[in-house]
This record gives sequence, C-alpha cells and structure tokens, in this order.
Amino acid sequence: MSEPVVPETPQVPEPEAPSGPYVYDYAASPQRQIVMPKTVPLPSLRTYQAEVKAAAEADEAKWVKMQADFETAKAKAEAEGKDAPKPPVRPVPRKDDNDMKTPWPQEAKDADLLRLQECLGAKVEEIFEQAGELTCQVAKESILEALQLCRQDAQLNYEMLADETATHYPAATGFAFSVVYHLTSISRRKRLRLRILVPEGFQPETACAVYPGANWMEREIYDMLGIRFANHPDMTRILCPEDWEGYPLRKDYPTVGLGQRDIAFREDRGGMLERIALQKAGQLGINLKQPKAD
Amino acid sequence: MFKNEEMEINLGPQHPSTHGVLRVKLRLDGETITHCRPMIGYLHRGVEKICENQTFFQGQVWTDRMDYCSAVANNLGWAEANEKLFGITVPRRAQYIRTMLNEFNRLASHLIWLATHALDIGAMTVFLYAFREREDILDMNEAFCGSRLTTTAFRIGGLREDLPPGFEKMVQKFLAKFPSCLEEYENLLNENRIWKKRTIGVAKLGAEDAIAMGVTGPVLRAAGVPYDIRKAFPYAAYAEMDFEVPTRTEADTYARYLVRMDEMRQSARIIQQCMDGMPEGPVMAKLPKILKAEVNEVYHATEAPKGEIGYYLVGEKGSSNPYRFHVRAPGFINLQSLPKMAEGGLIADIVAAIGTLDIVLGEIDR
Repeated sequence: MSEPVVPETPQVPEPEAPSGPYVYDYAASPQRQIVMPKTVPLPSLRTYQAEVKAAAEADEAKWVKMQADFETAKAKAEAEGKDAPKPPVRPVPRKDDNDMKTPWPQEAKDADLLRLQECLGAKVEEIFEQAGELTCQVAKESILEALQLCRQDAQLNYEMLADETATHYPAATGFAFSVVYHLTSISRRKRLRLRILVPEGFQPETACAVYPGANWMEREIYDMLGIRFANHPDMTRILCPEDWEGYPLRKDYPTVGLGQRDIAFREDRGGMLERIALQKAGQLGINLKQPKAD
Repeated sequence: MFKNEEMEINLGPQHPSTHGVLRVKLRLDGETITHCRPMIGYLHRGVEKICENQTFFQGQVWTDRMDYCSAVANNLGWAEANEKLFGITVPRRAQYIRTMLNEFNRLASHLIWLATHALDIGAMTVFLYAFREREDILDMNEAFCGSRLTTTAFRIGGLREDLPPGFEKMVQKFLAKFPSCLEEYENLLNENRIWKKRTIGVAKLGAEDAIAMGVTGPVLRAAGVPYDIRKAFPYAAYAEMDFEVPTRTEADTYARYLVRMDEMRQSARIIQQCMDGMPEGPVMAKLPKILKAEVNEVYHATEAPKGEIGYYLVGEKGSSNPYRFHVRAPGFINLQSLPKMAEGGLIADIVAAIGTLDIVLGEIDR
C-alpha cells in the first residue's frame, strides 16, 4: 500500500523563544513618549481679535494678489492674441450645515465684570464673555483682593467657591499655569470665573481665608500640578501618596511608565504565556519587543 | 488605673460604612471625637489625565466610572459641557429623554443611598425594599442603552437611539407603584424610634458653614438654602418642568433624609411631565464626524444626586482631545465638611455622618 500523498505544508517559522521572562519595556512604549503641546490654548478676547485681524489681512492680501495675477495674465493673453482668462472670484467662507455655532470671545457687557474692573482698576488684566460665561483675569498678586471683593461686595456677593483648578501651559512664555476660580452667587444666580496666570515657582495667595472650601481644591492642585499656595493651612498631597514624585497633570508627565509596575510572567515557567502573547501581538501587527518609536 | 490620654484610631480604609475605600483618622476622648481627618486617594485612577489623552467622545465612559451610582447624571453633565464648548444645540426630544433618564437616575441613586445609609445605622429591612425598586430602574436603563450601571447613555449632540418600543409602558408601570413604595419606606423609618434617635440632631452642618465649604446638593438644602441648579441655572429641559425644591431648616441627618425623600417625589413628578409632554422629532443634532475644538474654556455644572457636578473643559484649536478635563466632584467637596460634622460628636455617629453625605469614593478620588 502506498501512503496517501500529503501536500507539503509551507514551513511556518517558529516564533523565537524569548531568552528571559517577558518584560514590557515601558521606557520605549509609544505612550511613554510625550508629545508636548505646541500652542497655548488660553481663551482671551485680545488674542482672538488679533487672530481675526491677521486672518482678514491675509485674506485681503490673497485677494489683491489674485487680482494682480489676473491683470498680468489678461495683459499677456491680449498681447498674444489669445482668449482672455476668466476673472477671479473671491472665495466665500464655506458654510457648514450642522447644529454647531462656535462660541467666540466677546466684549464684556455684564455688570459684574464692569464692576470688578471699576473696583480693581489696573489689577484687572482682561475681561470678556464666552459661551455665556464671564471671565475676569486679574494680576496674580491681587487674587486675594479680587476674591474678597467678590465675596463681600454687596453688588457682587459671590457666596460660594464652586471650583478651583489649574491648567498647565508649557508652550507659553511668561507663565506656566493658569489657575481658575469658579464662583457662584446663590442669591443672584450668577457664575463668574476669575483667572490668574502663574509662572513656575510662584506661590499664589490661598483662597482659604475667604472661602474655606478651597482647602482641598488647592491641595489637589498642588498634588496634580505642583503649584504651592502661600499661607495654606495644610499644603500636602491629597490623592497621590505623600512620597509620589512628579505632578501627574503636567503635560510633561507620561501617561504610561511612572509608578507602573512592570509585568513579568513570573509563574510562567515554560514560557507558554509569553509565546501566546507574542503570537497574538504578531497577528495584530504589534512588535512587542521593539515598540514603535513615533 | 484609667488612662485619660486621647486615643487615635483609623476608620477604614476597609470599613463597610465607608462605601468604598475611605480612611478617616480619628482622635478620641473617650467616645467623643476631638479630631477627624479624612484621607482619600485609594481609588485614584487619574481620570482627568486619561480623558486629556482621549478624544472628546471617549471621555464619557470615564464619567460612568466616577460616581457609578449616578452614571446617567454624570453623562448628562459631561455631554452638556461638551455641547457648550462646541456650541451645539440639542434637539428638544433628546432634551426631554435626557431629563427623564436623569431623574430616574436620581431615584436610583437616592434609593441606594437610603438602603445603605439605613443599613449602616441599623435598619435592615428598608435595604431590601429600596433595592427592589432600584432594580426596576436598572431594567429601564438596560432597555434604553443596554447596560445597567455604567450607562454611557448620551452622545455629544443628543442620543444614540430613540426610546425603545414599550418604554412608556415600563415608565407608567413604575410611576403607578412608586408613590406607594415611598410610603412603605417612610412607614418603616419616619416614626421609627431608633432611626430618629440615631439621626435627629446628628452631624449638623449649618447653612453658613455649608456655603463656606462649598457643600451642595441635599446636604445644603437640608440646611435651608434652596439652591438647586435645576432651578437656579436650568439645563436640559428643566426650564419647562414644574417642580419644587424641598428644603428643611434643621440641618441634621434626619432633615437630609426627609429632603431626599421629598426629592424622590419631585423626581417622579418630573418623569411624569416628561412622558406627557414628550415632543416628536430627531434625537441627534447634525454634527461633523470629528469634532475639532476652538480655543475655549467652559465650566458647566449640573445637579447630580449628590450635588453640583461640574466639568471644566479647555479646548485647543484644531485638536480633537480636550486640553484640560477637570471634574468638580460633589462628593470631593462635600466630604471636606466631614470634620465639621463629626468633631464633638460620638464615634458611633460618624457612620451616620459619612452616610448622610452620600459619598461615592470612585468620584472623590477620580
């Protein structure tokens, strides 16, 4: 009896057996690579107006150039006796057919903002309204004065500090963080945002003296962004352990790596789990050993 | 023989009454608490950091997992904050459905609060009754969006789906029996001697202190301040709803219990109004597939069952991720007032104080 002919199966190369226990290299992980923001998304009426003006000027310059190009082309065509080129059409901004209407910063018209500017004078750096919210940016040294005014002034009367938080702006020059205070007036049904811009190392005055509820919010800001507040009763970490290194919500803090334990399949003596992991990753097109550098 | 020095003990982090992983450092003089320091962070997952590295749409699943007892309310705040950032107008029908689901969620959250709070203090029976009704609400969540607890109920711009067929029947069935259920709970507790002894005059927090500490929600309303964001800064369809803001002036645990019970009645009223006045039309706004932000910052606060939940978002020009995503968690701010409530009281009463604040540590630690 002759044996049935078995078609030759193509040789699949065995996955390489790893030498040691498989350890994911977090230092080389793509998520470990930090992409620092390039812009400073700090809402501001002045910046917005400057941007709009620059865009309008660029648009105008482009239109003038188009017309000049047309004139030269027309003259050339006339000289050569060809048909005249089509006159240029000024491009109209495209209208999107959707239910979105981007809220842009607007001039401050609200009485509260005007009152703040009247009382604080030159200490107010900017006031504007956006998306129905009032923003008042004050000088970083006079935040306590502004908070006291908001709390005690009979016309303002903001009783409650709803929220206090900060944002990291590594790309900015002159400051590194913005600290925002969201105040609520329960009796007048109004909200107000106070904002200060703080450079690295500057210690803004604590709001605890005016709003005792700021205690934990400022501890959280210190914990997450590393802004220390002057005269705070208890400037310690709140969410992270006391010996934690770094400030997680800064933009230069990686999402993967710090404080994360390496995964080693210690129980996997025969290397089975490792092989499965590598195989599965291979099917998905992921090279676990050499993660992409981008 | 007797020592007269103060004793320091830890309540938690693994204590059944702390509803999560809360550690409270207590200094005791006999049975009286002289110093109280809540220590949090055991459930810190870095939700804000994670959401900053995801698109605007992807943040929603993390809001579910903050306060897992009121996922829908968290979703609503998140969706509306995003809509404010982009300037999106949501169709009216979607607003109504959102309002209704949010109120159902308030009921579920208050029911689980009632059940566990009563259990902490020693009333076992009401736990079983309250969970029975909560089950119906979770079934409705399941009918609407497929999941019971972590709902991911809404989308930026509206809803993913309209109400499923037969939903109205479920709602009417629930509303028909719910008032009698509330009476059942109140029969068990309102005149219960032990319940009254454990709650009346316990963990007081006056209006002035509460406002200074930023406390919101039923705890503030039980101190006599009629501050409800649904009325003060109406959102969703609350401007069109007719309801009252129940308040009490006693500012103790019993008053907070009564406020929450009254709130449940008002929620049932709002649900009925939503069902009656449900407009027809689309449930999703017309939006581009990818949302790209402009430079803008918004703080949007809504009334979650626990208090004011606020989302602070900063948009970066041309980016589909939020530059900054911050959550003002009601529990985080409310828990701050625990020392004020507990100091000077008995150690047995701190369990009532923690329960009455209605905290969920998943939201506090984020």
